Amino acid sequence: MSWTREIREVARGWRWGRRTMTPRSALDSTPPPKIWSYPTDWARTAAGRVARDVILDAALKPIIWNETTPEVFGVDNLEGVRGPVMFISNHSSHLDASIILTTLPHTWREKTATAAAKDYFFDVWWRSAFTALVYAGFPVERGAGEKATHKAKELIRDGWNIIVFPEGTRSTDGWLQRFRHGTSRLALDMKMPVVPIAIVGAYAAMPKGRSWPRRGRPPIRVRYGRPIYPREGETHQQLSLRMQQGVAELFDEDRTSWWEAARRAARDETPSLAGPVGPGWLRTWEGSRPIRRSGKPPTWR
Amino acid sequence: MARPGFVLEVDERTPPLLVHQGEGFRLQKFPLGSRVIYPPDSLPRLRGLRNHIRHALDHPHDSEPLKELLKPGMRLTIAIDDISIPLPPMQSPDIRQLVLEEVIELAARRGVEDIKLTMANSLHRRMTADEIKHAVGERVFRSFYPKDLRNHDAEDPDNLAYVGKTDRGEEVEINKRAMESDLLVYVNINLVAMDGGHKSVPVGLASYRSVKHHHNVETMLHSKSYMDPRPGRSAIHDSCKRMGDLLKQHGLKVFTIEATVNNDTFPDPFGFMNKREWEWSLLEQGTYLAAKKANDLGPSAARHQIWTRIKSPYGVTGVNAGETEAVHEQTLATLHRQQLVEVNGQSDIMVVGIPYLTPYNVNSILNPILVHCMGLGYLFNMYRNKPVVRPGGAMIMFHPVPNEFHQVHHPSYVDFFEEVLSETTDPSTIESKYEERYANDPWYIHLYRKSYAYHGVHPFYMWYWGAHGLDYLGDVIMVGGDPKTCERLGYRAASSFRDALEMAGETVGRSPSITYFHVPPLAIADVR
Repeated sequence: MSWTREIREVARGWRWGRRTMTPRSALDSTPPPKIWSYPTDWARTAAGRVARDVILDAALKPIIWNETTPEVFGVDNLEGVRGPVMFISNHSSHLDASIILTTLPHTWREKTATAAAKDYFFDVWWRSAFTALVYAGFPVERGAGEKATHKAKELIRDGWNIIVFPEGTRSTDGWLQRFRHGTSRLALDMKMPVVPIAIVGAYAAMPKGRSWPRRGRPPIRVRYGRPIYPREGETHQQLSLRMQQGVAELFDEDRTSWWEAARRAARDETPSLAGPVGPGWLRTWEGSRPIRRSGKPPTWR
Repeated sequence: MARPGFVLEVDERTPPLLVHQGEGFRLQKFPLGSRVIYPPDSLPRLRGLRNHIRHALDHPHDSEPLKELLKPGMRLTIAIDDISIPLPPMQSPDIRQLVLEEVIELAARRGVEDIKLTMANSLHRRMTADEIKHAVGERVFRSFYPKDLRNHDAEDPDNLAYVGKTDRGEEVEINKRAMESDLLVYVNINLVAMDGGHKSVPVGLASYRSVKHHHNVETMLHSKSYMDPRPGRSAIHDSCKRMGDLLKQHGLKVFTIEATVNNDTFPDPFGFMNKREWEWSLLEQGTYLAAKKANDLGPSAARHQIWTRIKSPYGVTGVNAGETEAVHEQTLATLHRQQLVEVNGQSDIMVVGIPYLTPYNVNSILNPILVHCMGLGYLFNMYRNKPVVRPGGAMIMFHPVPNEFHQVHHPSYVDFFEEVLSETTDPSTIESKYEERYANDPWYIHLYRKSYAYHGVHPFYMWYWGAHGLDYLGDVIMVGGDPKTCERLGYRAASSFRDALEMAGETVGRSPSITYFHVPPLAIADVR
């Protein structure tokens, strides 16, 4: 066998550049692979920020704006807010982080880092480097409890805003999943404001399993909400509920109008984002229903 | 705790698997659904080894402590396992050296003066001075070699003692000095379940007259398997036990010391060979590629030198001393913890890669007859209860089987290959027609005694080791084997594994079940 062919065989067999896989029958007897700790601080240096700006503005934004039809609302809610803040959003697509970063004002973006799952985004060197550079990503070990937020706290103390998806992973049916309490604990510990964001239409545009948006420039709407401030004596469960409520109100606002959503919220009647009760297919069916094209509600209704 | 042995089922996630093929290795993809038998992970090595040895000598099984057995004015003989184990040879210090130093220290303190050391090489070649020094250590070597530290000579009538016959008529003749000693201490390393116990003294110190009673076709055909020494399973071990009992009846006092080693077979940079492939790190994958390229490109002489110089970083997992059977029971328990793998059911095809080394080609050449012995003899027989492959199944081996012989070590092998195998490969015919002539050939005897040659009868035994496999299997296919040599051995040669599976299809059908026996490191398949 030639040398090149031999290398190709090894590269294919051991999935170079991809996540290593254990044969199924060996799963019980193979210790979980050690998760590699990739250094990310370099991506938050001045040079890293410049490079990120170039990538986001010259490459990622044009691609997303060309392949989808994003609309952004509520950025004005950030006026007068003192950082660092925690941006939280529903999470149903790989587009989510890119959309937030490309819609955030530059002044905010340059000091914003993204929490990314260590086991997924920091498993191989090239994915780690990409995540660190493009998203200012830092690894979060899922299910690691207190330990998982060490890096986040360090960044917040340094004045960095962070983007967190409290669901922990992308939704498989487009509906909101339970928020992990680690996010609200972190906000409480750091006494930082939480800015809810609703990303509507990303699931329909590029759901889990797709690596490129659907054809037809599907609409995506990004709604920034008012910051939520942790209250004195508030528990992390209570804050977590308010965070979910904040995102749900933005979805309601998108579906109807700001005024109607505000009235419903005052009556505590904001529709839940947990999705319909029923079989899995029904949830997916409803979750993937295309959203209307324009962000403005139809005038004739 | 070390992970137990494991049977992998090949799926689409399984990387290609390492296969040894003589002084080389390769990655081979196996059909989906194939089973792969992996040995347990290495057991932790004993720390403070000298303390463990001292403890074993002071607290022996079914025997008085060694220091109580040593008395001034006594005749003490120490027999030592020869170069055939462990494989590859152990990195210094060899466990034999450590044990010997403790035993001799005790003997010196107890006022024993008459000590002789004998390498228990039976009908194997004599060990060179360097090889002996590596096994026993410099201090022992300097103190005893050459006058009191010698190779056993199975053809020296003046130094052999005829003991008598067992109840089955097996003649027992062993080293005279050992037989006439007040105490015989046997220092053993147990690499496989076949070794140790009563196979040490009645074989290692015996003559052809004695060895032929169990190293014959009949015995081999009734040793199923000889890696399973439980009574009634292995005729060769039953025979050795009868001989051991006879020696005991005639007053031979044996103090056995047995050591077991773990599965740390290959040193760095070949450490990846000890590991399961999907657990190879990126560095180990790179090391594989570099080592493979260097090995393939290197001149064969350089390649041979590199392989020959490999010394294993084996860790010692147990040292037991005392009465032979009681000790061996403990040894086997530790050995099984290290090597036993539970396997469900037999398969149609067994696949093995023949490594570069067998017990009989240390610092030598792996000739075609030794390939046969390693494949159909040892590896086929690495089972308990039932063979890995079904009756009439096929065995696929990987080895180039070049027509190469070491002219000093294996002179009778050359004639065996040219004269005997060209006429027949049937072990019984070979035994009845040729064995006596080769065994008593004065030239071979001379080379055995004065040079470094294996005994004239040794290639016959190598052929007999494979008798059970030959009788049992329906087809033997050698991947990458030299066609002419394979034909002489009675095998079929295939240029690739895929071809070999095609060929085996004629014997076992079109959709055979396949089991790859992934050794070394060694494993014993406990087939249910």
